[in-house]
Amino acid sequence: MKRHVLVAIFLLLSVVTLTGIASADFLRMYTADIVHPSDAATKKSSLSEYCPSLKGTSADTPVYYFDSKRPGATVLVLGGTHPNEAAGFMAALLLTENITVDSGKFIIIPQACGSGFTCTDPLEGLPDFYTIKTTNGTRKFRFGSRVSNPLDQWPDPLVYMHYPSGQSLSGFETRNLNRSYPGRIDGNFSEQAGYAILELIKKEHVDVAFDLHEAAPEIPIINAIITHERCKDIGASAILELELNSLTYALEISPKNFHGLSHREWGDSSSVQPFLMETSNPIQGRLRGKTNAELVTGGVDKFYAQAVKSAKFRITYDSANGYPLKVRVARHIAGIQAILTAYNETFPDKKIYFSNIPSYDDINTKGIGNFLK
Amino acid sequence: MLLFVTTYAKSPGSGGQYEQPILITSAGQSADVSLAGTLMKKLNLNFKVVNLAKESDLNGIKTLIIVPGFSSKGLGAAGISREQELERVKLILKAAKDKGIKLVMLHLGGKARRGAQSDDLCQLAANASSMMIVVKQGDEDQFFTKLAGQRKVPIKVIDKMADALTPLKEAF
Repeated sequence: MKRHVLVAIFLLLSVVTLTGIASADFLRMYTADIVHPSDAATKKSSLSEYCPSLKGTSADTPVYYFDSKRPGATVLVLGGTHPNEAAGFMAALLLTENITVDSGKFIIIPQACGSGFTCTDPLEGLPDFYTIKTTNGTRKFRFGSRVSNPLDQWPDPLVYMHYPSGQSLSGFETRNLNRSYPGRIDGNFSEQAGYAILELIKKEHVDVAFDLHEAAPEIPIINAIITHERCKDIGASAILELELNSLTYALEISPKNFHGLSHREWGDSSSVQPFLMETSNPIQGRLRGKTNAELVTGGVDKFYAQAVKSAKFRITYDSANGYPLKVRVARHIAGIQAILTAYNETFPDKKIYFSNIPSYDDINTKGIGNFLK
Repeated sequence: MLLFVTTYAKSPGSGGQYEQPILITSAGQSADVSLAGTLMKKLNLNFKVVNLAKESDLNGIKTLIIVPGFSSKGLGAAGISREQELERVKLILKAAKDKGIKLVMLHLGGKARRGAQSDDLCQLAANASSMMIVVKQGDEDQFFTKLAGQRKVPIKVIDKMADALTPLKEAF
């Protein structure tokens, strides 16, 4: 056989091998994270129940129901609207795996943007996975992207025009679930997912809804509770309650002219009381250094510590301890508890009672893994 | 623990000298104004909260509580620009002064409501007030303490928002 034929065969086999390795690497992200719902779970469904066209797609994410069968409010908790904001998913997972509902009903969607969990953001050097040690061994979770996978929705337009407001946003935001609301049944992939979630809110008569997020330490809207103007009194009461436990939050009211976000569109399109919460997540920041799974869970970054020391601008970062995942998850859990306490005071005839959820101190002392199965 | 710093202890304005009804308004449209409302509700005081209060809202009002702190989301919610808000604040402060309405500044938002976007609003409010109540985190650089000292008005620096209940109860 001639030499050039051998070289061609070698190159061809190399390409096939490398393609195979890369494909396997990509496909690993399609393996669903394991969730062990608590014994209080009464039903498991998925988003396609509320938008059938999502059936079989990566947006058809699981929905868990915990119905006490006793009167009370219905509460929706969304984690993973932005999959790369790990504390949102992890707080929703912790609730899913532990909660007992004593009156009213909880509905939890741990990975609201199912598609975004199948990839990471390009050119960011982000880890595909991170791990958490539990009492039953180590569990691995996908890190994910801020937005839906481009394989599910492509190409991005130059300008994303929000439906129905007509507001113009960067083309990238067309795949952002939290710019898609109220969505539409015949819209693009993300709009259909947004539509399904709002349909769930309407059909299940959700009274209070949480959308759990994180943001870079240099973003001004951090350690904040953002809500619709209808709910500002409940938000204010919750913030005072949290402050008594030494947890500082800022209350922000959803801008009326910034469309597509949960705290605006859920509140405008239904009677639900929406609350979006943000914590400080170093791996999302522009100043971060080494970017790996340890940064997801440990939340320690020397460049943020340096930036805080410089005092050049406002950064929400603890120079001594960083912002570990357990602190961020604990803040979300404490925020949910405080808001629902304030809700119960405001609507005493429709109280929601739940239990078996660890306190802020418990999560910080024992770690998240102690509360995962 | 409640830190109590009185720059000018005998100043008029301390010791239950403020009257009701009270109007609470924002300077910068942060939602801290809602927190102020929640505090007043706990004290069972006669008050109303008007985020974008104007001169006509002062009719019948005995005390104006101004809550400074910039919020881009709040301005978006109100549908106004920062410049428009600055102008509104100047007008309401002038109208309150012209009507002889006493003014209390309540800065609740700590560090989050300080900095370049907030400080001119804070200064406007502080310079018009006859008493300041400030959460400690927002006065780490003594910004408000210095202003209070220059104007010889009492300032009460508190650890937490909820601690504002004590000086407010004393004031009303």
